[in-house]
Amino acid sequence: MASFLLYLFKRLLIIPATLLVITAVLYAMFLLAPPEERASLYMTSNPPRVQTEEAAQNMIERVIAENGLDDPFLWQYGRWLTKLLRGDWGYSPTFNAPVLELLRLRTPVTLELTFYSLLTLIPLGLMSGLLAGWRPHRAWDRQFRGLAFVGSAIPPFILGLFLLSIFYVGMGWFPPGRLDVTQLLLLRSSGFEPYTGFMTIDGLLNGRPEISAEALRHLVLPVITLSLVHWATLGRVTRASTMDETGKEYILAAHARGLRQRSIKWRHVLPIVMIPSLTSIALSAAAIVTGVFVVEIVFNFKGLSELITDGLQGPPDIALVLGFAVYSVFLVIPILLLVDLLKAVVDPRVRGEGGIGEQAE
Amino acid sequence: MIRWRYFFRQWPNWLAILLILLFAVAATFAPQLAPPRDPENTTPFQIVDQSFTRIPRPPDEQNILGTVPQIERLPLFGIAPGQDASYHWDVYFTLIWGTRSAFRFGLLVTVITAVFGITIGVISAYWGGLLNRLLMGLADAFLAFPIVAALWVIQRTFFSQVYAFFPELASWRWWEHLFYDLKISPIMLTLILFSWMPYARMMNASITQLRQADYIEAAVAAGASGSRIILKHLLPNAVSPTVVLMARDVGGMVVLSAAFIFIGFGGDIAWGIVLVSSRDYIIGLGGNPFIYWWSFLPFALALTLFALGWNLLGDGLNSAMNPRRSRFQ
Repeated sequence: MASFLLYLFKRLLIIPATLLVITAVLYAMFLLAPPEERASLYMTSNPPRVQTEEAAQNMIERVIAENGLDDPFLWQYGRWLTKLLRGDWGYSPTFNAPVLELLRLRTPVTLELTFYSLLTLIPLGLMSGLLAGWRPHRAWDRQFRGLAFVGSAIPPFILGLFLLSIFYVGMGWFPPGRLDVTQLLLLRSSGFEPYTGFMTIDGLLNGRPEISAEALRHLVLPVITLSLVHWATLGRVTRASTMDETGKEYILAAHARGLRQRSIKWRHVLPIVMIPSLTSIALSAAAIVTGVFVVEIVFNFKGLSELITDGLQGPPDIALVLGFAVYSVFLVIPILLLVDLLKAVVDPRVRGEGGIGEQAE
Repeated sequence: MIRWRYFFRQWPNWLAILLILLFAVAATFAPQLAPPRDPENTTPFQIVDQSFTRIPRPPDEQNILGTVPQIERLPLFGIAPGQDASYHWDVYFTLIWGTRSAFRFGLLVTVITAVFGITIGVISAYWGGLLNRLLMGLADAFLAFPIVAALWVIQRTFFSQVYAFFPELASWRWWEHLFYDLKISPIMLTLILFSWMPYARMMNASITQLRQADYIEAAVAAGASGSRIILKHLLPNAVSPTVVLMARDVGGMVVLSAAFIFIGFGGDIAWGIVLVSSRDYIIGLGGNPFIYWWSFLPFALALTLFALGWNLLGDGLNSAMNPRRSRFQ
């Protein structure tokens, strides 16, 4: 247990380091923006309308002088970082609201979709890959390989469009969006408390399970779209390492001792196989988050991706862009952490010797 | 290192080669397959005569695969002509000429990314120590960063003048001119800057292993210089696994950038640009989803098959290099 806590502590220490690197890179990029845009990072409300070019120039110069935008990189970066830590993420003229609030309001939607996708893809990927690799070239293995092949070949956004066109337009089973518009309006007027922001859980907490069911129905297609490609990768990695593992002597010994197939499979092979598999998930965590944004847009989920679609239409909005970039790392890190903790639970070696870099290879 | 005889005995590899060749033929013979009506037109889009409806027109003799109305508003990187929504695009023309943009994009981005990643991997592994830790830490940090966010930042900072509402050539910074002249779009730059990590890690791992080898020690003892050891002894022996990654990336990059175009960032995969417009004709119509099949099916298929071809090639190369591993690793 003590070693586990030590591992957890070391793992938590890496998060600030990662964030530090990423924010530094982001701020260096930001410095390449022209001064007017950089000045807009320091807005606190919509700018007053400026009539002449000269007045606009004056305003910009004032902002530059007030915020020291001519200082060296480290000074500016440090000031920006302290502002971030204090919760002052700037003001978005496109949405007419503080950036942090915009992000916070939309987080549950994105988190719910991510959560359910991971919940389907990790167990399914591990299980199907293990079963396929346990008895390669049999019927199940062939089916698995076929499906994994299809899954990794079709680009997710195209798969999403096809699923929508068949199961929504054609069959009318799974509509897009989080809930139907009329339902959302009814909810808003009937005193529905958004305790967690997760529609599926809020429905239960409010004593209205039919809302949860409806929310789940809306989640089916996006979750399939998002999971399929990552399920395929995870399954293939699991299959390959299962095949390596089943030839080893300790498995043979387990068979010889007369252990049951089932217990060898799930007790002995699964924990070993999980490590490379989970590493592959960790490596694609950022890709999963990118996928979530794309899928949200295809299925018209009003999550964090709404900021992209609307922000692209609006005027240059550097505070929103930077805020979004920093915030999206916060979505990746929990996935990484979850994966690392799972690894530490199944493998004592992971928590024994610290370095993440060595483990990842 | 690649066992070519094994490679050519597998039928999926032939399928991969066939698919890629098919696209390559379409790209090479585009002027013959789909001659542009206006010889001045260098874009992958052909404007069909003006029409005042925004309903895709079905295939006929003039437009073998029908038409799709132009996108109403999209910040493009200078390759789509006009911004007038009352024009239609010819589907067949874009399907054929789009192969050129796909190949150009995929190959260029992949090669630059691979060179970049391999260089970093080699440097960090060869010199080792603190530098190695720093660079690999950097790679890990980059791996934790969603690429959409990076794209948005780069578009708004590096290219902010190009993407301004009223772009003025005079106010562009020097790098904006440079990237514009080299036809490097924000998506390309983003993909290059944010996908080098797998190459670096892979190279780093194999060079670290190779450095222990006797023949490297022999080269050091013989007084070979660092650059000679890297270029003559280390690189040739370590570089082949990255070929697999590269083959898969060519298709992957094209699909990824099509996805980004689709969600509203401009870009230069012609197929993706048309899909933005045809999206309205997939969803939002009751009943039969395939009434306007020609507006999206050709492009969706083209993107899928393009990615499939390169993916199969990558898988095939992988199994030809690692004999013990089965095909779908």
